Amino acid sequence: MAATAISRGMPRSGMSTGMRRILTHGGIFVALILAWEVGARTGFLDPLFFPKPSAILASFWRIYFVQGNIWYHLYVSLGLVFAGFAAGSILGIALGSLVGFNSLVRRFIKPYVIVLEATPRIAVAPLLIAALGFGAQSKIAIIMLVCFFAPFINTLSGVVNVNEEKLELFKSLGASKMQILRKLVLPEAVPVIMAGERLALTAALSGVLVAEFIQRDQGIGSLILVYTRNLNMASAFACIFTLTIVGFLIFKGMEILDRRIAFWNHEDGMARVGALRKGRWAKQAEA
Amino acid sequence: MADPFPEVRPNRLWGLSRLVPHLALFAAIIALWEVSVRAGLITSIMIPRPSAIGAAIVDLYFVTGTIWPHFFVTLTEAVVGFLIGAGIAIALAVGSSLSDPFKRYVTPYAIVLNVTPGIALTPIIIAWFGFGMGSKMALAAVISFFPIFVNTLTGLTQPDGEREELFRSLGASHVQIFWKLRVPSALPLMFAGLKIGLTTALIGAVVAEFAQATHGVGVLMNRFSFQLNMGASIATLLSMTLIGLILFYTMEFLDDRTVFWRREERRAAASRARARAWKRRTGK
Repeated sequence: MAATAISRGMPRSGMSTGMRRILTHGGIFVALILAWEVGARTGFLDPLFFPKPSAILASFWRIYFVQGNIWYHLYVSLGLVFAGFAAGSILGIALGSLVGFNSLVRRFIKPYVIVLEATPRIAVAPLLIAALGFGAQSKIAIIMLVCFFAPFINTLSGVVNVNEEKLELFKSLGASKMQILRKLVLPEAVPVIMAGERLALTAALSGVLVAEFIQRDQGIGSLILVYTRNLNMASAFACIFTLTIVGFLIFKGMEILDRRIAFWNHEDGMARVGALRKGRWAKQAEA
Repeated sequence: MADPFPEVRPNRLWGLSRLVPHLALFAAIIALWEVSVRAGLITSIMIPRPSAIGAAIVDLYFVTGTIWPHFFVTLTEAVVGFLIGAGIAIALAVGSSLSDPFKRYVTPYAIVLNVTPGIALTPIIIAWFGFGMGSKMALAAVISFFPIFVNTLTGLTQPDGEREELFRSLGASHVQIFWKLRVPSALPLMFAGLKIGLTTALIGAVVAEFAQATHGVGVLMNRFSFQLNMGASIATLLSMTLIGLILFYTMEFLDDRTVFWRREERRAAASRARARAWKRRTGK
């Protein structure tokens, strides 16, 4: 804060603060990369473990454009991620609302939820592979299991944690059950559910990797494993940075989806839908 | 994640009488499961009999005692990894909360680390740190870092203008503001982050054991399930749950002790203890 005020008070160069900051950060980043490159070239960093940044870039080029072998693995892994995510989160939301709306079930299910929460759920992977056999179905089952929990818990708590006072107001005004659900419970629960979905999709990406580490036939996880086994670290790093990009896209995508679906939770979403509704209403009034 | 069970804690006697239907339901489920496996409705390769799981538990824990070394290896890996990850995370978060430029330099890298699934680093970390416990601790540290970092930073930087003004107008120093205002108000969030981090650390340790290891419950799990010894592998899974529960409740206990002012009865106990100490010191 103080730094901003000072630099605003003294416009030393013609640049804005934001511009200068970007330059500084870029400079530091470049310096780090250079130090890494030099360290690897002089043998200070073992290139077997810390590949040169230039080598990582070169293998990016190779696996994407020359050989192009990463596309197939990415396609396989992401297909599994979305299939497992869809199945797991639908199951989670369905069971979550089932349990949430039924207080008897809720009371009985609580200890099981606690136990399930403490279990590292990814650890079930070898069991599922043994039970379902090798192939896509066991991988999807693992991802489903990993994705199930966050939407389940968040749906449950979103449905249960209804504002008591608002509920009383709704009841005293004679709202029907359907009205309470649509106008009170859902608007409060959907943002919480969306937060659960976001966690689930991130978990799905980890889930597919674990499944592929155990079952090394195809997919980005087995690609990383193969490259590391061959001590081709540059390509392994290129795969990991690919996953960084995928993770970032997933993160952004979920944010956009959240703004679309739970629009009332965001300023701009409210403005957009408000304008839309106003237009529709004006048309109706004209007709 | 939000709390799905917002209930008042019932008193002990009422809780005991409520325990009976829970136990009955549990027994009924187990009995139904046992019967349907025995009758052949469920393949025992996919889901073994509860009695087979029970027998495997007794065997693993008491007869052969196979599980103990693996159990403690995994527990150590998770805890040490968690401590390393949490130490780095808290140090960076405190640094970022104290200095704005520091925060600007750290955050982009922390965010990159967050969107990369940490699990993806497993093979590389194993190549770096070897097949032993070191690589498991490293993976546990890497993936438990982010939730702790974010929660600590959010807790330390949450705006609390009025209180800070009060502190300043009473002439509190920066150090006092940090220790008496910022840290106490950050602790609840920080503990929430530590709880998540501890669970993730366990996941990291187990996944690294799946990939390559000589000891640990993950190895045991892999071995049993590839032998299609489902009873023993579910028993191993339950041991992971046990480790998870031990870790979680240790954290919960520490949370309860440290953030005593959040819960009514703990606050009363803490203030009584302080009153006693005060009396002893003043000699009254």
